[in-house]
Amino acid sequence: MIPIRYNLRNLAVRRATTLATALGVGLVVFVLAAALMLTEGLRRTLSRSGQPDNAVVMRKGSDNELSSSIANTQVGQIASAPGVKKDADGRPLAVGDVVAVIFADLANGKGKSNIVIRGVTPEGIAFRPEVKVVEGTLPRPGTEEVMVGRKIARRFEGLDLGGELELRKNRSAKVVGVFEAGGSSYESEVWGDLDYVAGAFGREGMVSMVRVRLESPALFDGFAAAVEQDKRLGFDAMPELEFYEKASEQTAVFITAMGVIIAVFFSIGAMIGAMITMYGAVANRRSEIGVLRALGFSRTTILVSFLFESVLLSLLGGLLGIAAASTLGMVKFSMMNFQTFSEIVFAFEPTSEILISALVFGGVMGVIGGFLPAIRAARTAPIEAMRG
Amino acid sequence: MSAEATKADDGHTKPRADKPTIIRCQDLGRTFWRGKERLDVLEELDLEIPEGSFEALMGPSGSGKTTLLNIIAGLDRPTRGRIEVAGKSLGDLSEAALAKWRSQTIGFVFQHFNLIPVLTAVENVELPLLLTKVPASERKKRAQTALRVVGLEDRMDHRPQQLSGGQEQRVGIARAIVHDPKIIVADEPTGELDRQSADDVLTLLERLNREFDKTILMVTHDPAAAERASVLRKLDKGRLS
Ligand SMILES: Nc1ncnc2c1ncn2[C@@H]1O[C@H](COP(=O)(O)OP(=O)(O)OP(=O)(O)O)[C@@H](O)[C@H]1O
Ligand SMILES: [Mg+2]
Repeated sequence: MIPIRYNLRNLAVRRATTLATALGVGLVVFVLAAALMLTEGLRRTLSRSGQPDNAVVMRKGSDNELSSSIANTQVGQIASAPGVKKDADGRPLAVGDVVAVIFADLANGKGKSNIVIRGVTPEGIAFRPEVKVVEGTLPRPGTEEVMVGRKIARRFEGLDLGGELELRKNRSAKVVGVFEAGGSSYESEVWGDLDYVAGAFGREGMVSMVRVRLESPALFDGFAAAVEQDKRLGFDAMPELEFYEKASEQTAVFITAMGVIIAVFFSIGAMIGAMITMYGAVANRRSEIGVLRALGFSRTTILVSFLFESVLLSLLGGLLGIAAASTLGMVKFSMMNFQTFSEIVFAFEPTSEILISALVFGGVMGVIGGFLPAIRAARTAPIEAMRG
Repeated sequence: MSAEATKADDGHTKPRADKPTIIRCQDLGRTFWRGKERLDVLEELDLEIPEGSFEALMGPSGSGKTTLLNIIAGLDRPTRGRIEVAGKSLGDLSEAALAKWRSQTIGFVFQHFNLIPVLTAVENVELPLLLTKVPASERKKRAQTALRVVGLEDRMDHRPQQLSGGQEQRVGIARAIVHDPKIIVADEPTGELDRQSADDVLTLLERLNREFDKTILMVTHDPAAAERASVLRKLDKGRLS
């Protein structure tokens, strides 16, 4: 074996080229890691919204809360299905919200975006114990008061304590509180009174979707069978976790695909960079390689050594890339969830798994980019040692 | 290295009939092709070199000296004829076997020194031992011993660019002897050196021949260098005279 310090020192000697090449690889690793971290952030935000013992019931054929609609009068029917948990007073834990979307001005004139408006009953708020007011108060039932999620407070014009938000023409809402909800997507919503919101959007007597708490997750099948039994009602039941997973699926696939496409596209450039660098190294060290061959080092040994040097080079870049990507953990990201047409705010989530796979991807680039140069090095004839 | 054991008693190595032949070329030919143009560099060449001999090979530029040296050292293969070195018929060896044979049998000294620039003197000298089973600690010791033989014990950790040409070539010689090969081939080892450094290198080669009983084959253009060898051979137009 040719000692590793031989490769390390050669990388150090040509440090400018090494750094330039490593930065190319680092950029790719950064992009890939960032995309994966974003997907992970989205997935976590949405999965925090779901509870394992909750189930949702929607109108068949709709795949999100906005397009589903269920009559108020049918909520009781769903609540009485088997498996639904009862509270201390013997009332079933089942709630229906009205969900609508408005297009509103972003703060400091940065354009417009969507906000999800959720109309809830006091039971609806109690149904989600993770919801906590952190500033101001809860909106009083039956009024135009609303509270805003922590993540979008101050992101939109008027979404601040004491601010006003126009739901519809002449239907304004008054912000009285800011709430958090365990980091879930609820934190990107505005919550108001059920009837006031329904009235503002002409949805009186309707809810979008019904959520129930089950005695245990294992009872879901029985519950779903009972709810879906009457085909005329056209209900569709789903565990809440699955509902949120589906809600993020398309967006997650989109981000991952974008990231991977960009990374693969860039990686071609970076691999060519690594290849050019390594071809240069092989050409510069031709007589040196000849000497190694003359001394008796085998072709395979030379091949491995140069391949290894290329991998070291790209791992260096990979380390720079994941180091840069890790700092993204502090950045908040806001984007449209295409399935709910609402703005959702989430963070880059750097997991060790993501960072390691991005680094491995960088290493693989080194193997691919360095392969042909390493073959050329291995083919160097020992008589090259005799030429000056 | 087995310096003491092989020290010659008379201090001279004139070719002696009682010594077995270590290098034998029979009817050797080497042809290069440049496109359709045929170049017969070596033709019907016969050569016998006894073990322990110090031979100089001279001849005009382009006469095929390096080509012959390459073939004897197992770096290149002849187009025709037989070549037997240190008891092995080189034509019978596969490329991998030839590489292994080189690593055990031949020490190389190059005109341009050809040290690895990123490695220190002692690391350069250690290189041939990486192909042996010698353990790491022992390798370092042997490399240091070889550097002591060439008088560079105080330059062990210097990089080639921190050494003078003469010192570089002495490191090159240490590298050529560290694995105790039977034969040392040197292609114009003094070609890039001033008179004083060249003399030092030649004295060193003489010592290796006498004290360590190395067979040395040296190509040179320098008559003063050829003087130091015990046998002088001349190559002209692919033939020895
Ligand atoms: N690989 C090769 N392909 C083609 N021609 C070659 C090759 N190697 C050597 N030659 C030719 O063979 C001839 C002899 O070359 P060689 O290097 O053996 O000469 P030399 O005696 O060592 O010369 P010098 O004293 O200049 O080093 C030259 O004409 C050279 O051009
Ligand atoms: Mg020559």
